[in-house]
Amino acid sequence: MSAVELNDVVKRYGALEVVHSVNLNVEQGEFVVLVGPSGCGKSTTLRMVAGLEEISGGTVSIGGRLVNRVAPKDRDVAMVFQNYALYPHLNVAENIAFGLRVRREKKDVIDAAVKEAAAILDLTPYLARKPADLSGGQRQRVAMGRAIVRKPQVFLFDEPLSNLDAKLRTQMRAEIKRLHKRMGVTSIYVTHDQIEAMTLADRIVVMNGGRVEQVGSPMELFLKPANAFVASFLGSPPMNLLRATVVSMDGEPRARIDAADAEAAVLKLPRASSASLRADQRILVGLRPEHVAVGMDASADVQEIAATVDLVEPLGSEALLHTRISGQSIVAKIETPADVETLLQIGRLQIPVGRLHVFDAESGRAVNGHA
Amino acid sequence: MRYIRDTLALLATCALLQTGSAYAEDAATKITDDPLELTIHFHFRDKYVYTEGWPVEKKAAEWTGIHVKNIASLATSNSRDAFNLLMASGNLPDIVGGDVTGGLKDDFIRYGMEGAFMPLDDLIEENAPNLKKFFDEHPIVRQAISAPDGHIYFIPYVPEGEFSRAWFIRRDWLDTLGLKVPENVDELYAVLKAFREKDPNGNGKKDEVPYFAREPIEAVRLINMWDARVSGSERYGDFMIEGGKVVHPWTTANYKTGISKVAQWFKEGLIDTEVFTRGARVREYMLGNNIGGMTHDWFASTSNYTEALKDSVPGINFAPMLPPKTVSGKRFEDSRRATVQPAGWAISYSNQHPVETIKYFDFWFSEKGRILSNWGIEGETYDMVDGKPIYKETVLHNPKPVNAQMWEIGAGVPRGYWAAYASEEQWTNKMALDGIAMYEKEPGLLQPEFTGVSMNSEERAVYDKYWPSLLTYMMEMQQTWVLGAQDVDTSWDGYVARLDQLGYAKVNEVMQAAYDRQYGKN
Amino acid sequence: MATIIVGYFKRLGEDLRRDWQLYLLMLPMLLWFLLFLYKPMEGLQIAFKDFSPFRGIAGSPWVGLENFRTLLDDQIFIRAFLNTITISGLGLIFAFPVPIVLAIMFNELQSELGRRFSQTIVYLPHFISVVIVAGIVINLLSPTTGVVNLILSSLGLDRVYFLTQPEWFRTVFIGSNIWKEAGFESIVYLAAIAGISPTLYESARVDGASRWQMMWRITLPCILPTIIIMLIIRIGNLVEVGFEYIILLYQPATYRTADVVSTYVYRTGLQGTQYDLATAAGLFNAVIAFALVFAANRISRKVSTTSLW
Repeated sequence: MSAVELNDVVKRYGALEVVHSVNLNVEQGEFVVLVGPSGCGKSTTLRMVAGLEEISGGTVSIGGRLVNRVAPKDRDVAMVFQNYALYPHLNVAENIAFGLRVRREKKDVIDAAVKEAAAILDLTPYLARKPADLSGGQRQRVAMGRAIVRKPQVFLFDEPLSNLDAKLRTQMRAEIKRLHKRMGVTSIYVTHDQIEAMTLADRIVVMNGGRVEQVGSPMELFLKPANAFVASFLGSPPMNLLRATVVSMDGEPRARIDAADAEAAVLKLPRASSASLRADQRILVGLRPEHVAVGMDASADVQEIAATVDLVEPLGSEALLHTRISGQSIVAKIETPADVETLLQIGRLQIPVGRLHVFDAESGRAVNGHA
Repeated sequence: MRYIRDTLALLATCALLQTGSAYAEDAATKITDDPLELTIHFHFRDKYVYTEGWPVEKKAAEWTGIHVKNIASLATSNSRDAFNLLMASGNLPDIVGGDVTGGLKDDFIRYGMEGAFMPLDDLIEENAPNLKKFFDEHPIVRQAISAPDGHIYFIPYVPEGEFSRAWFIRRDWLDTLGLKVPENVDELYAVLKAFREKDPNGNGKKDEVPYFAREPIEAVRLINMWDARVSGSERYGDFMIEGGKVVHPWTTANYKTGISKVAQWFKEGLIDTEVFTRGARVREYMLGNNIGGMTHDWFASTSNYTEALKDSVPGINFAPMLPPKTVSGKRFEDSRRATVQPAGWAISYSNQHPVETIKYFDFWFSEKGRILSNWGIEGETYDMVDGKPIYKETVLHNPKPVNAQMWEIGAGVPRGYWAAYASEEQWTNKMALDGIAMYEKEPGLLQPEFTGVSMNSEERAVYDKYWPSLLTYMMEMQQTWVLGAQDVDTSWDGYVARLDQLGYAKVNEVMQAAYDRQYGKN
Repeated sequence: MATIIVGYFKRLGEDLRRDWQLYLLMLPMLLWFLLFLYKPMEGLQIAFKDFSPFRGIAGSPWVGLENFRTLLDDQIFIRAFLNTITISGLGLIFAFPVPIVLAIMFNELQSELGRRFSQTIVYLPHFISVVIVAGIVINLLSPTTGVVNLILSSLGLDRVYFLTQPEWFRTVFIGSNIWKEAGFESIVYLAAIAGISPTLYESARVDGASRWQMMWRITLPCILPTIIIMLIIRIGNLVEVGFEYIILLYQPATYRTADVVSTYVYRTGLQGTQYDLATAAGLFNAVIAFALVFAANRISRKVSTTSLW
């Protein structure tokens, strides 16, 4: 039995449909992350699970119970909000206890629960403080504490780390992961940050334009993106996508990179996708920056291609190389050599043919057999 | 007592003189051959200013050569404010005057003594034969406007005529119930009781209000029936003169009796339960709905209702009656027209032409000036018939009241002038004229008027300090008693003690001192 | 010392040169304060003088505290002062919470249309002139034709001539004031409620709070700072009861409870042209008001951390 089950869930505001027929099964104890650009419908979907938005169509079940018409408080879920939603007039302990107090729990039960949650979240020294006197990370921990004490079936997180700075975000990410491991509560987590999604999720749901693009484990999505959107959304920097046309050369399909005013390079394509390609098909050739190599020997599987370097961005141990192939830009992520200046002189890049992804330009779907 | 007799005699003389029309010669009204312009600040009755364009004023300018130019602004709708602002600015025009809430008499005197206005005595003596004659013939007016230093600082608006208000009763109700006009307190009680209980309006409901009143001063007027007075003047709650002594009517034994009886009548439903909150349109309400039986109010305006309501209230006859005899068997009318109005004009200290100005003031007291200021322009608003000014028919039969028509052309406005009762008489309706005649015929109805005292600054300080709170307290207790919230007999001693505590004796003392100085100790 | 002062002006000069645009923006308000608040304070001298408009402020002789002595010696003034405090005090207790309750009730209304409609209805009386309101009140309470008394008598109760009974004056005055002003005053609380983050309510809903709990545990505490500021301002006006409405409603018979400082000043000061006494009464009021506001602010800062300054 799934912990949370969404069947053809639809959200409409008047005539405008913002979530189209979402299907999703979240297993008991699973950590599922909904990710996508802003406006993709991920928060709306989460709020429908929480009961804060009415469900326009389809069904939502929690723990096998249909909850379409059940009030939020009776769904046995707890939610953490992006802006923490702490009560400014209550101190930390009272904030954490709020959910229990409105449910008229006994005082000693509340106290014990608050104490436990505070210990888990390292909030014990701050119990008497007001939210205004806390840092952003502490506030977010209080918000989580408020969810924890409720001991719900499902945790819902609505972009909980978006208001934090980068360093805190990394730290809190780890903490959430740890917490989930420890408590094992089914969690649905919404974010627009693909790194959060990759690091936290058991499974990722990529959403775009109100639709689910792909569901799968982080590595599955990373290695085998079902379409160009997922491919470009996951990974940092994002996958390079080169516009190209299929040409036949030596009986094998090749990709001729579209070039406006430069000489068009021609790329070999991985064998797996060759079969489904036809001549003159418009395609996108995908190549992750970290797979582009410099100074490697060319071989049957490695193709060398002429490129001009525009810019080098050293990030420390690695460097980003902004280059152009046939006029289209390609970013390469390579190890930083001792002398960074030399990178500007590079005239050729090596591309491992087996690592190329091929997508149909029109539908965006993968045609390299991964899907 | 001797004083009152003297005054009465004097008044009677004046009345005789005035019919004889003994004006000083005014063959030449020209004051200057070269036209002279004088500035004036004159804001009155909260919505008018002195206007050069008035036909009456144009005529006066033509006759005298003096043009007055108003500098008062109509931007303010409060004549009191306008006057005070002018005084505070310190920049006075040649003439300052007006008619404001609370009166300007005290202001003229106070600021006159502070140097703002010229003393007029010598100017009048040397240049103003008409004014001199008027004051010689009306010493009471001169006394009433004299300052504590003995000078006159302003020329007042002097009304004429004796009776202002009267008792009115539904004579048709009396007929319906087979009663006659009440002649004394007991009969009045019986009549009011009958009004209350015998359904004189015949609608089967006990909705009659035997006695109703429009102004606060009239709400307790029935205390007259026990020889108590409501006020010594037309001002609500003013002092009165009794045997040469200044007394407040609301401290007397008669008042105690009167107010307790009125409270009794109020309790019995003989006086309108809402008498203190009815407001200005009570006559329209009470008479228009055919429920009001009796009131005490102005002759002229109250006489209009019988005619005005004859269609909607068939048979209505709301007519004046003589004051019923009091418990002591006297008959008196408490109210009367003021001898002097606290309005008029004065010459400011900075005036470069005091002689011409006093001559201009004097012009209005000449025969020509008096007719002009009362009847307006000959041939336009009046004609001379047998040597007397008579309003034209077009004026008398205009839908607008005659006084309103006169104000529009600049006649009858409260400049320093002498109103002529004869002009008012010409447009007063017959019921009122008959009523006034009835009152005039009855000897000794009129009570002496307290014409006010001019206090010096020490006296003024004492008066200002104590009087407002005294009046507040007395009004409060008056209503409290009438409404029955407290019993008069049990609370009277406390009332007297409290008055003393609030400084009644001190106020009385300075009033008396000022009175003695102003009116002579005879 | 001299160097400090020189240094101050030098710095000020530098500031002026650098930030002259900012100082220019401040200028109108500064002028407004000087012209309309500080310059008129010159007139406060009147309270210590035997003032004559013709002589002017400078020309009128000083009398020290004489005017204040006159006031404090006057039992009617003392009574008026106590009445003022009583009426405002009772107003504070009974009228102050009403707009808060109204605002919360409006906030709970679900239908947008219904909310706008009812808000407009309760705002409206604010825009009616007090003269009209007094007329309505007098009519409603008339012992013979007033609706209130018709109801009383149909219930078999005695008719009451409300406006002449000192015991009823405060009720009538405060009650009709609530009717007139509560709706309009609720606007500020509605604005405060609108400023509460909606996620607080969402979070509470998920946590299991009922509407009633949300009202008590979220709405009220969140607008508490606004309530406190309004309360402090109100306390500052404790010695201030507008005279127009009182004058329209009161009678000598009800002076015992209805006569307040402003009506006292109106009767004695302005009608009798005693500007010096009126100014003294005004100054007396202002000093007490300042003391009250100061105290209220102190207490509030201690108790609730919210304060005006």
